[in-house]
Amino acid sequence: MARLTALLLPLLLLLAGCSGRQSALGPGGADAQVLAVLFFVMLGGAVVLWLFMNGLFYWATRRSPSAHSEKGSFLLIVIGGILFPTVVLAALLSYGLAILPDQRAPGDGLTVAVRGEQWWWRVEYWPEGAEAPIRTANEIRLPVGARTEFRLDSHRVIHSFWVPALGGKMDMFPGRETRMSLEPVRPGLYRGQCAEFCGESHAWMAFEVEAMEPAAFDAWLAHEASDARPPEGAEAQRGAALFAAQGCGACHAVRGTEAVGQVGPDLTHVGSRHSLGAGRLGMAQEDLMRWIRDPAAFKPGAEMPAYDHLSEAQLSDLATYLRGLQ
Amino acid sequence: MTDDATDDAPRHQEEQKAFAEEADSLLAITIAPLIWCAHFLVCYCGVAIYCAKWQQAFSLGVLRAGLIGATVLALAGIALIGWFAFRRWDVRTSGDWVHERGISEDRHRFLGHAAFLLALISFIAVCYVTLPLIFIGSCA
Ligand code: HEC
Ligand SMILES: [Cu+2]
Repeated sequence: MARLTALLLPLLLLLAGCSGRQSALGPGGADAQVLAVLFFVMLGGAVVLWLFMNGLFYWATRRSPSAHSEKGSFLLIVIGGILFPTVVLAALLSYGLAILPDQRAPGDGLTVAVRGEQWWWRVEYWPEGAEAPIRTANEIRLPVGARTEFRLDSHRVIHSFWVPALGGKMDMFPGRETRMSLEPVRPGLYRGQCAEFCGESHAWMAFEVEAMEPAAFDAWLAHEASDARPPEGAEAQRGAALFAAQGCGACHAVRGTEAVGQVGPDLTHVGSRHSLGAGRLGMAQEDLMRWIRDPAAFKPGAEMPAYDHLSEAQLSDLATYLRGLQ
Repeated sequence: MTDDATDDAPRHQEEQKAFAEEADSLLAITIAPLIWCAHFLVCYCGVAIYCAKWQQAFSLGVLRAGLIGATVLALAGIALIGWFAFRRWDVRTSGDWVHERGISEDRHRFLGHAAFLLALISFIAVCYVTLPLIFIGSCA
């Protein structure tokens, strides 16, 4: 019994790892569902073949270890060695190829352009017919039940865009646009991850994806398009003044203010994001303070300077201001 | 001693002549894989260039039909070569699978055998190369 538990426990833990918001086997999107079925078909086939082959080995070595007739061996090679694999592989190839076009199907109207940066994501929403994009960063929200098209590229090195629970992955190249589309079917919070090694903080280059009911999504997008709300309260106002005085606006944009920098992520609505620093930290007061004090402590090589000369109170003011940017 | 040498000379020459003929079929066994190679390149480069340059000029359907035509030709060519090779191998009358004697008849059969197997694998490969053409209908 103890032995059985010892065997089963790791298996159960392994299976538990299959669910979750960054799992291709816990699909929340139409494409991921198709891919999960593909995975289980392959797995099932592999298990059947494994059992069959090992059964054959067992039979040939233990049960009937005598010489086989030449004709029988010949047939075994032709059928088992040529015909069977040819047909099975052709069937699997056809199955895989038949799935492929769906993963690139055109969207229903909304297009999201994502550019891989060192180590964050520049995001632009282009609703159907839009002349100018709605700019944001490090988080993507999508309407449930509609197919959203992605236009992907990269600033300097190759990254790869992957939200395992929603669909397949697609590489992002500097100077070349790639496309894919995703169709969430279940509202929820998922996690995406850069899937192509891109430097020191590659592993910290993640993002949150929220799949929302269409009405909620439209309301969110309309709000996302608006300018930043002015700071409320003395702390936030001091924070806004610090933001300007410390030159944060040279790299960051906060629409509706003097800050128009394009080097780093757009911060217009940073307080409404689920995570900070492309999935690195939460959005609590303490997280923001620690981040501004020393970004490289959380993301080695981060291209934002440390502000460790600021006092605890000043960092707190800045954090309050940023959190208020809802 | 000298007698032996003169005795052997004609047979030796005969072997050499037969061997020279076989050199041709040594080349011949590469034909089926070469057809596969050419077909692969035509399909791959054709679609790549079409998607990069010619999308406005004509529809992908035209290209796909053309390439599937090329597939039919390639398969017919490979099948023909496979049939010749099978006859040269001549396994049905000789029953010889191993070709272990170093004489020209065995070389002849061996090359037929090898050419036949290469034709078979080329045939399968050409079919596999064609599958994406059938399933994927756009450049995206
Ligand atoms: C030299 C340009 C630069 C300056 C100056 C700069 N930043 Fe940044 N900032 C960045 C970059 C680049 C990132 C993205 C780093 C990463 O995630 O790897 C970033 C990320 C951030 C983030 C996280 C954004 C998100 O979407 O999660 C916040 C918040 C932030 N900076 C605040 C500030 C504040 C406050 C200041 C001024 C005190 C400042 N930054 C000054 C370049 C800069
Ligand atoms: Cu990356």
